[in-house]
Amino acid sequence: MRARKFTPVLASLAALATVMSLTACGSGSSSSSGAQGDADNAEITFWGWDSGGSMSKLIAAFEKANPGITVKFSSTGNAENTQTALANAVAAGKGAPDVVMLEDATVMQFAVTGDLVDLKQYGAADEADKFVSGPWNMLQYNGDPYGMPIDSGPEVLFYNKAVFDKAGVNADDIKTWDDYYEAAKKIRATGSYITNNSGSSMDYQPFTAQAAQAGAKPWTVDGDNITIDMNDEGMQKYTAFWQKLIDEDLVDTSIANWSDDWNRALNDGTIASLTIGAWMPVNLMSGAPDQSGNWRVMQLPQWTEGEDYTAEDGGSSLAISSQSTNQAAAYKFIEYMTLGDGAVTMSETGTFPALKSILNSDSFVDPDSDANKTTNEYFGGQNVNKILAEAAQRPVNTFQYLPYNSFAQTEYGDDISPAYTGKETLADAFKTYGEKLAEHGTQEGYTVTNKD
Amino acid sequence: MQAQGEPRVNRRRRDWRGWKFMWPFAAVFLFVTVIPIFYAIYISFFQNRMIGGTVFVGFANYVRLFKDPLFWSAVGRVALFTVVQVPIMLFLAALMALALDSMKLYGTKFFRISSFMPYAVPAVVSTMIWAFMYSAKYGLVGSLNDWFGTHLNVLSPSVLLAAIGNINTWEFTGYNMLIFYSSLSTIPHSLYEAAAIDGASEWQIVRRIKLPELKGSLAITVIFSIIGSFQLFNEPSIMQNMVPGNAISSSYTPNMYAYTLSFSGGQTNYAAALAIVMAIITMAIAYLVQLKSMKEQMN
Repeated sequence: MRARKFTPVLASLAALATVMSLTACGSGSSSSSGAQGDADNAEITFWGWDSGGSMSKLIAAFEKANPGITVKFSSTGNAENTQTALANAVAAGKGAPDVVMLEDATVMQFAVTGDLVDLKQYGAADEADKFVSGPWNMLQYNGDPYGMPIDSGPEVLFYNKAVFDKAGVNADDIKTWDDYYEAAKKIRATGSYITNNSGSSMDYQPFTAQAAQAGAKPWTVDGDNITIDMNDEGMQKYTAFWQKLIDEDLVDTSIANWSDDWNRALNDGTIASLTIGAWMPVNLMSGAPDQSGNWRVMQLPQWTEGEDYTAEDGGSSLAISSQSTNQAAAYKFIEYMTLGDGAVTMSETGTFPALKSILNSDSFVDPDSDANKTTNEYFGGQNVNKILAEAAQRPVNTFQYLPYNSFAQTEYGDDISPAYTGKETLADAFKTYGEKLAEHGTQEGYTVTNKD
Repeated sequence: MQAQGEPRVNRRRRDWRGWKFMWPFAAVFLFVTVIPIFYAIYISFFQNRMIGGTVFVGFANYVRLFKDPLFWSAVGRVALFTVVQVPIMLFLAALMALALDSMKLYGTKFFRISSFMPYAVPAVVSTMIWAFMYSAKYGLVGSLNDWFGTHLNVLSPSVLLAAIGNINTWEFTGYNMLIFYSSLSTIPHSLYEAAAIDGASEWQIVRRIKLPELKGSLAITVIFSIIGSFQLFNEPSIMQNMVPGNAISSSYTPNMYAYTLSFSGGQTNYAAALAIVMAIITMAIAYLVQLKSMKEQMN
């Protein structure tokens, strides 16, 4: 009756605890246990990132206009962390916020598994015409909206005029990607690179944007069926072009977007231009302050002379998690942030709007407004917002994202970067990428056809 | 005889009294470590698909794991890392401990603290600063390149693992040195006096008195280091975006692979199977090492 008896006691305790935990954990399946709740009185939780630094101001204004609703904002850092946090809450079956900020490309991922609320029941579908089509289309699943766009990211060409002048390149002559290629050669001769691309997961968004602009459809999703085609006409155009740039050492393949090296290279002129979303100015101003006055912006080069397409590079939205029991109040907040005064405030603090009314407004393109003055100064006096607003209204080829977009993004870095370091051709890298995407889709229960 | 009854009663009372202190830790340990392990084993027999929900699949995840080239190359990588980095680090730690203990060093206290300080710096901070220094364009290596006209790139794929090993060694040598140093401090000074009387040289003292004493703590540090190196995650994960050419893939080490599978790929069940298999591999190796060292100690 001493220590020896202790072991079976311990073992049975452990077994009991395990059984308890299994029953508790096992019940955490996906749920639509939410409710509309009271539209006028609620406390809603909001997860997102606060890149403009204006969240507290926005929330204060909303609460003033809606005295019964309080908003608890938790900054979840960045898009990736927010989406991971939401995935964890969904897996646990509880803890998800009422309103969540998500990158447009990941909305479908959560909509497919029923973790986001269909906003049609709150009248969201009627607001379609108020937004530019690029971001709006990305938030539709089965024809219904699952998120409301906060911003849009039409791609434009930002370039360092000082470096261009030194290389003897006239940016106004760059109308097509072939012109871009010629300019790249001239710039390389001066020691700088026209741009960077290392095929990392941070270069995934620009890839989807530029491939979309070329009319490529590397994947199509139709309910439970996915078709992968890394070799369609648009993809071939894209791959051939970038292979040329890689082979002739015209792009810096050692620097990934958003790395510290990237900021420094932009700051000292070794990266001469960026084809990236219209939300870039505020990042450029903070990351490359030494180049103030040197940068300019213009429309994206085209694949065929005379066309005027752009593409969506990134963009975020607000959605309601299906666990929310305050969905009506949550939608009120979303309305404020995306359609109402909140959208206007955000556009004044660095967010590039998705609302047509703001893009077309006089104050948005007014070069003398405070917000615009600082930006335009950095861009040597150019009326930046005028050009960006033009870009936002350009036609965009519809581009679908995979329901497992975050996997596609991570896998892109693993599979495509060997091509940028010269270990294989870009076409082969995309072939491997297609196979991996197909494999993952099959594992997730989709019926996948790989047209390779 | 009363002596026979007393030990019995004492032992039983000692048992439960001990648990009065232990139960908070035991409870937390149970819920935070033991139960998640059982839960991981449980979910590794399922798959949670986007189309079809949660499905029981038996050993399918394990079969997929054994055929997975990414997993095995990651295991190979950390195994190589361990085999090279652990001996180097422990050798340096032992050297430093012996130097400190020799009492012939000026500024013993300073060296004791300063060699332990890297351990106190958070891994994220250490790794980021080292990665900045390693940058061949804008870091310390870049500056060295400019001064000496060289073209060193310590972050190129062929030497990347060694660069990470360097950071790891810098971080943990002090910690291991402290363990060695404290076991050296337990040697009674009468042994040194006896050796001096017998006319032993410094090197003979080290070889015959100090090194055998280190063998005990060596067993511990070796096992901790092996387990730690197999779990390599912090350094490569933080350096992922800072390394040119994307040399650190998302499955660079087994832990990174499990992380990517869970949070990017949404395949937590497969990641659980991976974690279980990794744990078994690590435990097997640690056990083998312990067996060997126990045999040595018994001789």
